[in-house]
Order: sequence, then C-alpha cells, then structure tokens
Amino acid sequence: MKKLILVLAISCFSQWVTAQQTQKILKKTTINKLFTCSLDKLLDTLSMDYKLKIAFEPDSMQKFDVVEHFFNESLKEVFDAVCRKNQLHYWVDADGTIYILQNADDLERLKKLNQIKNLASGANQFFKLEKPKDPPKHFLFTISGQVLDQNTGGALPSATIRVRNTTLAATTSNDGNFIIFNIPADTCVLEVSYSGYQSDYLRLDAEKIKNPIVFGLLPALNSLNEVTIAGKKSGVMNTDTKKIGVLQLTPADLDKLPSLGEKDVMRAFQLMPGVSGTNESSSGAYVRGGTPDQNLVVFDGFTVYQVDHMYGFFSAFNSNAVKDVLLYKGGFSSVYGGRLSSVTEINGKDANRNETNFGVDLSLLSVNVFGETPINDKSSVLVAFRRSYQGPLYNKIFKQFNTSTVSSGPGGGRGRGFGMQTTPASHFYDADIRYSYHPDVNNSFTWSFYSGTDKTDNSRDLNLPAFISSNLSNMKIIDYTKYGNLGSSIKWFRQWNKQLHSNTYVTYSSYFNDRNRSNTGTSTTNNVATNFSTGTVENNDLKDVGVKSEWEWEMSNKFKLLFGGFGTYEKINYEYIQNDTSTLVSQHNQTFLGGGYAELEIDPNHKLHLQPGLRSTWFQATGKEYLEPRFSASYVLSDHYTLKAATGQFYQFINEVTREDVLNGNRNFWVISNNSNIPVGMSRHYMGGISYENDQVLVDVEGYYKTLDGLTQYSIDQTSSVRNGPVTVNQNFYNGSGRADGVEVLIQKKMGRYTGWISYTLANAQNKFAVYGNTYIPADQDIRHEFKSINMYHYNRWNFSAVFIFSTGHPYTVPLSTYTITNPDGGTSTSFTVGGKNAERLPDYHRLDLSATYDLLKISGNKVGSIGLSLFNVYNHANIWYREYQLQNNAAVTTDVKYLGFTPNITFSLRWK
Amino acid sequence: MAILTVLASCKKQNIDTSLVNLPVVEAYLIPGQLVTVKLYKQKQLTDTATYGSPITGQQVYISDGSKNVLLTESSSGTYTYNDQSFLVTGKTYTLQFNYLSYAVSAQTVIPSKPTNFALNDTSIYISTSSRTAASPIDTFANLTWSNPGLLNHIIVFKNLTGKNLPLGNFSPTNSSVQINANQTAAYYITENTFHYYAYYKITLYTVNQEYINFLTSNTNSTSSGSTSQTLTNTFTNIVNGYGIFTGMQAADNILYINVHPS
Repeated sequence: MKKLILVLAISCFSQWVTAQQTQKILKKTTINKLFTCSLDKLLDTLSMDYKLKIAFEPDSMQKFDVVEHFFNESLKEVFDAVCRKNQLHYWVDADGTIYILQNADDLERLKKLNQIKNLASGANQFFKLEKPKDPPKHFLFTISGQVLDQNTGGALPSATIRVRNTTLAATTSNDGNFIIFNIPADTCVLEVSYSGYQSDYLRLDAEKIKNPIVFGLLPALNSLNEVTIAGKKSGVMNTDTKKIGVLQLTPADLDKLPSLGEKDVMRAFQLMPGVSGTNESSSGAYVRGGTPDQNLVVFDGFTVYQVDHMYGFFSAFNSNAVKDVLLYKGGFSSVYGGRLSSVTEINGKDANRNETNFGVDLSLLSVNVFGETPINDKSSVLVAFRRSYQGPLYNKIFKQFNTSTVSSGPGGGRGRGFGMQTTPASHFYDADIRYSYHPDVNNSFTWSFYSGTDKTDNSRDLNLPAFISSNLSNMKIIDYTKYGNLGSSIKWFRQWNKQLHSNTYVTYSSYFNDRNRSNTGTSTTNNVATNFSTGTVENNDLKDVGVKSEWEWEMSNKFKLLFGGFGTYEKINYEYIQNDTSTLVSQHNQTFLGGGYAELEIDPNHKLHLQPGLRSTWFQATGKEYLEPRFSASYVLSDHYTLKAATGQFYQFINEVTREDVLNGNRNFWVISNNSNIPVGMSRHYMGGISYENDQVLVDVEGYYKTLDGLTQYSIDQTSSVRNGPVTVNQNFYNGSGRADGVEVLIQKKMGRYTGWISYTLANAQNKFAVYGNTYIPADQDIRHEFKSINMYHYNRWNFSAVFIFSTGHPYTVPLSTYTITNPDGGTSTSFTVGGKNAERLPDYHRLDLSATYDLLKISGNKVGSIGLSLFNVYNHANIWYREYQLQNNAAVTTDVKYLGFTPNITFSLRWK
Repeated sequence: MAILTVLASCKKQNIDTSLVNLPVVEAYLIPGQLVTVKLYKQKQLTDTATYGSPITGQQVYISDGSKNVLLTESSSGTYTYNDQSFLVTGKTYTLQFNYLSYAVSAQTVIPSKPTNFALNDTSIYISTSSRTAASPIDTFANLTWSNPGLLNHIIVFKNLTGKNLPLGNFSPTNSSVQINANQTAAYYITENTFHYYAYYKITLYTVNQEYINFLTSNTNSTSSGSTSQTLTNTFTNIVNGYGIFTGMQAADNILYINVHPS
C-alpha cells in the first residue's frame, strides 16, 4: 500500500487519479433510498447527487425499470446490483467517467457520443489538462521515470512516452524505466501509451521535474478496439517497424488464437513470416533457414536448452508466467551471442504488487494454476504450475509422436516404441516461481526459477509362470525416459543515476535427458543369488553456470551506450551404457566462455538511427578469441515509411545433436565444440527491409542472406548382428557449410473488429556436407514458399479466429532401387540406391485451425476469464512428416508417417481478479 | 539481391536416375579359394526376387599389379579365375570391366591371416525354458585370437544341422550367424548368439575397413532404420557401381561348437 501512496504522491496530477477518485466515491459513499423509476432516471439522480459523470444511452436505459430499496449500501453495490439485474456492465474510464454498457463494444460509441454531448452543451470536458501554472522556468532539462500497471504495480516494457508537439520520445526498458533529454520547457505535456492500456497525460511543472515521474496506467476495456495513437500496436503479435527482424508477443492475448491445449508462446511466433510454421514435431523456432538449436532461448537471463514438451508439440513455457517474448530473427544486437541464427528472449511476469490474485486454466490436455501476491510493501511472489493429465487428447498426441504412427503397409508395419504396449504412464509438468524484492526506488532484485520435465515410465513387474521363474525373482522391466530443464537466475537491477542503469545476473541452467531400458532381477543358481541388469542406459546432462552484467548509459538524446561482460562455465556429460558394463559412448567435456560487448546507439537526428556494436568471446575449448562485429541502422523516410538494415557475424560454441533411433524415438543431446571434429559454428547475416505503417495497416518487407560455416551433423548409429547381441556404435561427425536467403512479406490489419495478418515467405536454405557430395543440397528445414493467413474477428464478448497455413513440401530422400548381395555366412544384405540427399519434395503442407472464445466479464467490465473451443486441422488434411521404407518379402514398402489430423480442444480460463 | 538468389536457386533439383543402371558387384577375395566375382543388376523397389538379374557377357579383369587376368563366366553372372595361388597376403588387387557406358573399377588388399584362434568349449547347453526377454545373458564359451595390429575381424558360425530346433520365437531364414567383432581379440558366445540349436562350424576372418563400412552403413541394418530423414547410400568401394570388392583371410583352423538344448 505504501508503494501506491508513493506513486500517488509522485504523479498526483496524472489523470488516473480521477478514475481513482471515482472508484473511491463508488466504494465510500453509502446510500439509503428507494428507487422506483426507469434506469436512466436513476443514473441521472446518482450523477446529480454525487457529482459523478455517467455516460449512457438514455433511449436504451429508459427501457429498464428499477424498483429497488437500497439500505446502507455503497454506490458500487448499487451499480453492481442494477447492472447485474439488467444484464449490463459498467466501466470506469481513466478520466473518471462511468460508462453503462449493454455490450462490451459499446464503449467507443458512448465515448464519442459523450464528447459530442459535452461539446454541444458547451460544458467543460470532465477531464482536461490544466493550463501551465507559471511561465516556464526550466529549459532543456532531463527527466526520467517509470511506467507501471496501476493495478498490479508491474513494470510495463516498451511503453511510449512522447513530449507533445515535439519529436522527442522514449520507449521504456524492460524494467519500465525511461529517460528523455533536452525537454524544451517545464510546461510541456507528456503522453504515455501502451498496448492494452488507457493512455495517460501529464503537464510538467517546476516541481515535478525534480523527481522521477511514475505513470500508473489502467487497463483498457478491450485492447483489440483501442484506436488512439498512430503507430500504436495492439495486436496479439507485433513487429517493430523501426528495427529489422524483431517480433514481440504478449501472452495475455494468446487466447484469441487457436490453440491445441495450451496457449503457446513459441507456436505463436510460427505464424509470422520467417519462422516456419509446419514443424509440428518441434515448437523450437526454425528462423530464416536456421534450426532450433541455432536459436538462443533466454528466460529471465538464463539459457533454456529444452524448449518443448511432448516430443516438441508444446513449448516449455507457461504463458501465465510470461510477461512478454521477443524474437530477434537475425542481425541481432551484440548484447546477445552464442547462437548462429536467432534469439528468443522471454521475460517472466512480475507478481502483482498490490493485491493477491490467482487463476486456473483447464484444457483437455492440462491443468494450469497460478497465484501471485504481495508479501509486504517491498516484495511479491508469483507461482505458476502446469501439469498434463493423460486424457484422450494427451494420448492422441503422445501416440502420434511416440508410438506406431506407421499405417501398416502390405505385410504389416514395424511397431515402434511402445506400440506393442498399452500407452505408458507419461506426463509433463513445469513450474515457475518469481520473487521480486524492491528495497528502494533504485534497486530491485528478482529471483526466477523454472523447472520443466517430461517423463514417460513404462516400467512394470514381470510375472513369470512358476516353472520359468523358479530360479528368477524380482523380475522388472525398466522402461523410463525423462528429460527437461531446470534453470534459475538472480537479477539485480540498479539505477545508478538518471542516465545509467545496470542489470546483473547470476544464472544456472541444467538440462538432462535420461533413458533407461533394461531388465533387472535376481537370478538364483545353486543357492547363490545374483542381481542382474541388462539393457541400455543413456544419460546426457548439461550444467551451465554464469554471471553477466548488462549496462545502459543514456549519454544524451543522440547517444546511448550499451556495454557489459559475461562469463559462463559449461559442463556436459554423455554416457551410453549397455548391460551395466560396456560403455558405448562416454563424453565428459567442460569449458569456460567469457567476454564482453559494447554497442552504441546513435540518433544524429530523429530520422536516422545507427547501432554499431562489437562482441568478443574467449572460448576455452579452442583457446581462441572470437570477435563479432554487428551493425544495424534505420532511416525514417516519411511519416509512414521506414528503411532498415542489419549485418553481423555470429559464433556458436555448443551444438545439439541427434541420435537417430526409429525404434525408440530420436534422442537429442548437447555437445561442446572443440578443435577437432566439432568446429565452432560461424554465420554472417545481411538483412534489409522497408516498412509502411498507418493507423490501420502495417506492411513490412524484409530480405536476408546468411552464410554458415562449421556446421556439424552428428549421429550415432548402432548395429547389432544378432538379436539382443553386442552393439556396435558408430559416431559420425559430418562437417559442412550452409547458406540461406529469402524474402518475407507481412501485411497486418491492426485495428477494428477484424484484425489479422497475411504472411508470405520465399526462402531457400542449403547445406554442403562433404559426405553428401560437393554441391549445395537443400537443408532438411528448407521450404520454398510459405503462406500464412491469420484472421481474428471480435464481436462483443466473442473472439473468432481462423488460421490457415500453406507451405510447399519439405525436402526428403527417396530410394530409387534396391540391390542384394550374399554375405560370407550365406545370408543376404539388401541396400537402397539413394538418388540424392533431400532431392525430392514431400507434398505441400496445409491446414486450417479455427477457434471461438467467449470472454467472461465482471459487472465492472474487467475480464476475468474465457471459454474457448479450438479445432486443429479442421479438414483433416494428412500432412506427411516423413516416409519410412521397409523391406517386405524383398520389396520395398513405403509408408507415410503423418502429422496430427483433426483434433478439437476446449479451454477454460478463470482469474480471481 | 536476395530475390535473385532465391529465384536462381528455385529450379528443381534433379535426381540422378541413371544411378539405377550401375552394376552391383559381390566379390570376397579369400586366399585359398577361387577368385569369384558376381555381377547383378539392381532391382526395382517392388521386385520380390532375392537377387537382381545377373549381368552376363562381361570382360572382367583382376590385376595384382603385375598380372592382369581375365575372368571366365562360369555360370550366369558369376566370373571366376581358377588359380588359387593368385591371391597373396598384402597384395593389392584391382577389378576392372566396362558395363554399358561405365568404366567400373575397385581396389582392395588381402589382409593378414588371423592367428591363435581358439575356443574354450566345444559343447554348450542352452535352456529351453528360461529364455525370456528378461533373462540375464549368460556367457557359455569364449572365442579368442591374437590381434596385436588391431585388425578388423568377422566370425561366421555356419549351421551344419538345419533349422529343426529354433532357440526362440525369431526364426530367420538364414540359420547361420555372422558377427562383426571389429578390432577386438575375443568374442563371448551367449545364448543370444544363435537362432537355432545346431552344430556350427566357426570361421574367423580378418577383414578390411571397407567391409566393416559396408556392413555398418546399411540403414536397413542400423537402429536408425530407413526413413526419408535417415536414408543414405550404403558404403561401397566400387567406382561406377555398388556392392563390395574386398579381400579377407580365414584362420587356418576351423572350430566347431555344438549347441544343445538343456
């Protein structure tokens, strides 16, 4: 509460105070009165008696009669009662006006009517900026401050602050802070706007500029229909027209898109150009010809190595614990490094600092609960937990990606994985905890914890008939898979002075991927009991401990310096053991990475923006230093057009590799680059684009060209000459290079009942690996054309959406013929003649997803939840994942392994406040 | 520029369908045995025949560096040379013939002979009842040999009895067994080694790396299987052809083992 008073004291002239006053009147005023009149009369009476500004349509309200005796009841209870009875909502706007709404969408119309009415009557508008009290005294000074959510106290990043009638503007940082230099006079007006919130205004004066200015914004009634400031974004997904290849997403709006069980932050990016939307088996990002392991995923400062659940179908991040997500599609700033392709930065949600809140989301797949509460006036905590349950939807997806997806060809397909068993016990869960401590205005500490695990356990006791088990006991089959990520960070934010602030992190991240398929028991021979264990055990674990410090120095309106340093210690173990005794693969590697970066943001005038940067990394495993120059720039051609470009050099020191295993599912592991068979990856990006934006529409066109060197494809093949016999392991490291280029077009309609976008990507991604020949061949993720159409229609409390995705086929490898020779033992060996790696294309991929969501509103207009229905792949198109070739009676049988068909889902979400 | 690059690379990549015309070679050059080279055509994917049709009427030459001999077609697609002294340890042999428009060739070396090949038991008893997937794997007998040079070896267990008594549910057509022993100097015979109770003749061969590559690169026999994501050509040392042309050498002593039910 103290915080609130502090905020109140600092920005007491800010307009939300008027809304606050209205709320106060509603709560504090009690009335004793009998009403027997029409509703419009009642509203008029209340307006007159308590000096409330109430806006409504008299004609409509006339129809409702009120016969009610209020006895010692607060005005709020009066509004609640009459509105509930007549199925109306009331909404207290930022300027203090109470709007009586029949439908959620009435607000805009009523606001306009109210304005006209006020103008016509010559009455002063209820809210009007005060005139300057005194003539200006201070000139060309600097102000700083913060933008917060008034209800929760959470910082609002990327909010815009403008000085009215000038070109001066600033955008808030991650912590909601901003600074503006050279303000012409202390009588200027500041305007603050942020997507999904009501705008705020403030007239400066000699007193206010002495202290940091805190704006507390109130949520808008409906973020989709806000039309206020040109250039303002209010969609589910936004692009930054001033920067190249940047996408921003606010998870709160994700329920407006179709979802298969979970609001998925990573899947949502796949609807944008440049991010492939057809990899159902990976919610990792395939960005501009890159692979998911070339995408750095940072959550509150720590790196996440396992970004998905359920064989890639869901991303590992709980949208209830996420404030916002940024995806840099390439040419990114020197603040980031260690990956070749792109960066996904996820910021955890601040807990509500003012009041306790909790909520629940239910779907056919999982339960998702969260709670947030202030602990005292300086600290607050948020906890979110999600766990899947094994309903029909879970089993359907599980089977699709794990067990026999093979439609039996002639002679029957090969059962895969658990195909022979009933669906085994399997689940995923993740938990987020975020604790914030604000000892004073200039310091804050945040502890963030994330843990996510997928577990499949098909272990069972083996009950053998007595005559077999006479000498065997405690027989068990262990069949166990567990993988996931645990990460944590402590962040210290420090505002050193108006111009300098820093974020310092201590981070820890641990990835594990364990598999145990073995038989255990006790064998008794001649009364001597021997415990035995046979089978294979595979363990990969990665530990990553780091420190980093990121500084921002706002030198002037023209210069801003970003600099920082980092040090990371990484340790990776990979063991593959058979029958307790024979170690097939054993790798234990560790390395240290350390370095620093500096980047200058130059704005010589309000049209041009230049951003040169340099990053340097020393990598212990090779003992070398790696320099990464980066540069980006933008130029505002006119009010609507912006040109932008970026280039840079990028290195990657750790790689994800796959052990291919059709029988038990592919296994992914991380390995550290070295001086020999796993080179350090290097990429160069060249990107350019132009964007057009007006109030309604955004058109963004970007092109890119990338080169890649030091790519590693790593695989472990195992052969066994006899059933259950000794296994031979071949570790293959294939090194190569690559190139990618493409053009992306985005046309987005930002405002109105109908919003959405069209995305088109023309792309080309090629690799050259000596093992496949000396020419460039299509990379596995190469897709030529991709078209996506996202359509959202808003009608009162309903949101409808339709998402259509079309892409030309993935490349694949096809056999041309077979041949057979005799082995020395008299058996035969049949091989396929392969035409060319990735020389053919699978059929086009396309699907349509639909969803309808109904918002649950309180009488006071606040959204407290939603009920939704999603239909995935509505027309049940059989999209092919890959093809499998088997020999049956010497002939090759081809079977298609397909992606998910038509799948419906229901979601329910409820917030306490 | 990006548009141009994309457009330029937009043309369809053509599959080299002429690959299906390349000949398939099967030749194990084993000193003390006849030099035999079998030539096959490839099979269509839908073909249910075990082998492709033989390639007949070829002029097939093998050279040891000094002598270039022409093989005679002893039966359809099988080319032989009768001089058993032609193959000598350590010598390099080159195969050459012209098929259609292709000059087909391959090269191999005869590896040295395995020594000290021994078995510690000649008769083993494997239970008929306790064989379940969960049973511990028992070792019944050991095969050992000398391998100071870390050469590759394979062991062939030739079934001399027949297929009357299968050991488990899995009864493959080929009742003999071939083990890739890699660069080791021992092999432990377990109940999983065999598919049938039978009398086996055991031969140990030293083999070249090219043959191990051929064995292990076949995606049909690896755990990764043959899918459009993993499919690769099996290793071959034939230029303008498929299959294998490789030297190997058997140990002088042949061992035997009798696998009984208990």
